[in-house]
Amino acid sequence: MTIDKKLDNGKLTLALAGRLDTNTSPELEAAVQLDGVQELVFDFAGLEYIASSGLRVLLSAQKTMSAKGGRMLVANPNEMVRGVFEVTGLDGIFTIA
Amino acid sequence: MKRRWIIFGTALALYAALMGVARVITTRQARRSTEALLDNAMLDYRATVAGAIDTMLGSIAGQAVRELGRAEPRPMEEIGALAKRLDVDELNVVDRTGRIIASNDPHCMGVDMADNPVTVPFLALTNGTVASVSQPFRPHAHNPAVRAKYLAVAFPGGDGYVQVGLDERHLGKMLPVIFGYVFDEWMLGRTGFLLCADDETDVLLSNSSRHRDEAGTLAGTGFDEAAAAPFEVAGDAGLGRTFKQRIYGETCDCRNYLFGGHRFVPVLPEREFYDTRTIFGAVFGVLLFLVLGAAAWGTDRILRDRDRLKACYDAEDARRRREMDIAKTIQTSALPGKVPPNPVFRLAASMTPAREVGGDFYDHFRYDATHIAFLVADVSGKGITAALYMMTSKDILRNKLLAARDGEAAFDSANAALCRNNPANMFLSAWGGILDTATGRLQYINAGHNPPLVRRADGTVEWLRGKSGPMLAIVPGAAYKLRTAVLAPGDTLFLYTDGVTEAMDPSGALFGERRLEETLRAAPAGDPESVCRMVRAAVAAFAAGAPAADDLTVLAVQLAPPPRHRTRIFPANRDGIAGSSDFLDECLAAAPSSLASISAPLHVMLDEVVSNVVNHAGATVFEVTAEFTSARASLTVSDNGKPYVPFAHADPDTSLPADERPIGGLGILIVKKTADAVTYHRENGHNVLCFEKLAGDKTPEVEPPLP
Repeated sequence: MTIDKKLDNGKLTLALAGRLDTNTSPELEAAVQLDGVQELVFDFAGLEYIASSGLRVLLSAQKTMSAKGGRMLVANPNEMVRGVFEVTGLDGIFTIA
Repeated sequence: MKRRWIIFGTALALYAALMGVARVITTRQARRSTEALLDNAMLDYRATVAGAIDTMLGSIAGQAVRELGRAEPRPMEEIGALAKRLDVDELNVVDRTGRIIASNDPHCMGVDMADNPVTVPFLALTNGTVASVSQPFRPHAHNPAVRAKYLAVAFPGGDGYVQVGLDERHLGKMLPVIFGYVFDEWMLGRTGFLLCADDETDVLLSNSSRHRDEAGTLAGTGFDEAAAAPFEVAGDAGLGRTFKQRIYGETCDCRNYLFGGHRFVPVLPEREFYDTRTIFGAVFGVLLFLVLGAAAWGTDRILRDRDRLKACYDAEDARRRREMDIAKTIQTSALPGKVPPNPVFRLAASMTPAREVGGDFYDHFRYDATHIAFLVADVSGKGITAALYMMTSKDILRNKLLAARDGEAAFDSANAALCRNNPANMFLSAWGGILDTATGRLQYINAGHNPPLVRRADGTVEWLRGKSGPMLAIVPGAAYKLRTAVLAPGDTLFLYTDGVTEAMDPSGALFGERRLEETLRAAPAGDPESVCRMVRAAVAAFAAGAPAADDLTVLAVQLAPPPRHRTRIFPANRDGIAGSSDFLDECLAAAPSSLASISAPLHVMLDEVVSNVVNHAGATVFEVTAEFTSARASLTVSDNGKPYVPFAHADPDTSLPADERPIGGLGILIVKKTADAVTYHRENGHNVLCFEKLAGDKTPEVEPPLP
């Protein structure tokens, strides 16, 4: 998995490519540095699939953002990823675009 | 030793029994011959006495004829004087008319012979045709109480005749003469004799030599009147009855017979009777003894020879058995071991030696990772020679094949070597092949062996026929030609010896190629082990207990069918999780392309399951098995951790807001929702979780969003 990280004026964009699973989610966890970030965008256009370990990272990021009144956006998930969100009920929690 | 006693004891008992029977028979025979001797003696006795009297009376009558000259009346005194001188009781002169014209008896004078039928026969003398007429003793014409005998002799020219008569009572005076002239040389058997005694005076006549030395009376000989059978009267029918007497101190068989006032007793000492029996018994006994002895000795000898032969045969049989055991050991010890399981090919072989060891063998070995060689051969002949030659052949073939991977060169030089080292003129058929397991290319040489069969993966069966080279060890310069065939994955090559096709049922019918073909066709999946087993079973069922005449060898090699599932073991840590994901990619790469679309869900599910195992089960290792077909993919994860029941917990509440949602529990939920089937069971201390996904199912099953 590769993570393309871009911080611009309090907006952190993380573009993921590959697989987000038990193996790779620690990398993402390390990349999510939310100090001074008001807006968090996960760009999943290049993401093959996501496993529950990846969901856990997303969920804790969502909690952090919600706590400081920021926004979090999950952009461009493929069908597979969207399906996982739906299965786990996270599609109602995350803002998906 | 004991048997010897039985044989000779039996012979002895048989001897005693036969001797007993012989004694009874010889006793009866001797008694019969004694009776016959006495019968003949009686007949001779009577005839001889009668003949002697006739002779004497004839000579007396002849003397009277000569002295009287012619038939003419003479004074009674003159005739009386003549009768006295000639010592006859009666003397008559009869004229040619048959009338007595002169006599010493006044009663007879003038008697006409024609008047009495008894005297009529004498008239024959008056016609000149007969010279003399004799009559036996008979009652006297005038005095029937007296028995008399008459004899007449004719005057020359038939001119009357002279008749002389003898009173039976006066016979005695003639007997000494008769004895003196006739009976002296007379024999009765070997030692028998005659006794003759005046019934009144008991004065004895006898031709026995003892008589001259001993008593002159019948009583003096020891004859006991009380023990004698009643005597017979002369002239009566029958020859009397034999009885025992002690004569001259010896027991004798006797008859008793009265004639002319005399007792006639023929005597045969019993000793003679026993002598016959004893001599016969001795001769028979000796002969029988020799015959039975020889028979017993011969029997004993024959049985001993038989024992010796049997001992030799047993020893030979034991030696042959030992040799056969050695040969079997040689034969079976020379065979290669099992091929360890490997993913590329499978090989199974067996050799079942016949009762009489033959020379079948098989061999197989690997050149390198992708080349294997195998061969099946059948050495001519049986027994230890064949077994030893088989060892040599096997070594030579293996060495040559190892030295030259070119099958042609290997067979050519092996044949040359086998021709050289062949004092017993053995030969063998062989089929050898080298299989490239990577390409399936099979190169083979057939040296006069039965053609093998190929069972294709789809179950069809083909013969791998084709021109064969000569058998090995026969033609020194033979050149063998390499042939090529191709085995596809799943194809099975089957080699065998004629112990299969030439196996016989109890009626003598052969198993044959057709049955072999059918057996192979019926073998499921062509697994070498089961192919060999099925052929052996089919042959055994066909033979139905008939003993195998030849060794039965089978060898099957199968190029591995494409793997249907793969398995790998991983450590239960982060590396294991990463490894299992790579393994899935590997499997997917080899899997049918129809599974490409479910790659992502498979990865997600595998990740959830193995991370669960690593993080929660406390396992040290786990194993992932992937089984893919074009229609579906099945993954099984097995671990040695503590039991868990992944589906016993309620699904997490997915309707809670983010800050209330528990982190965790989502993994199993994802698996459940994504898989088409999930099972869990505990097996041998392992958790076994299996999940399947159908191909073409691009997205996980999506539940309608909750309101």
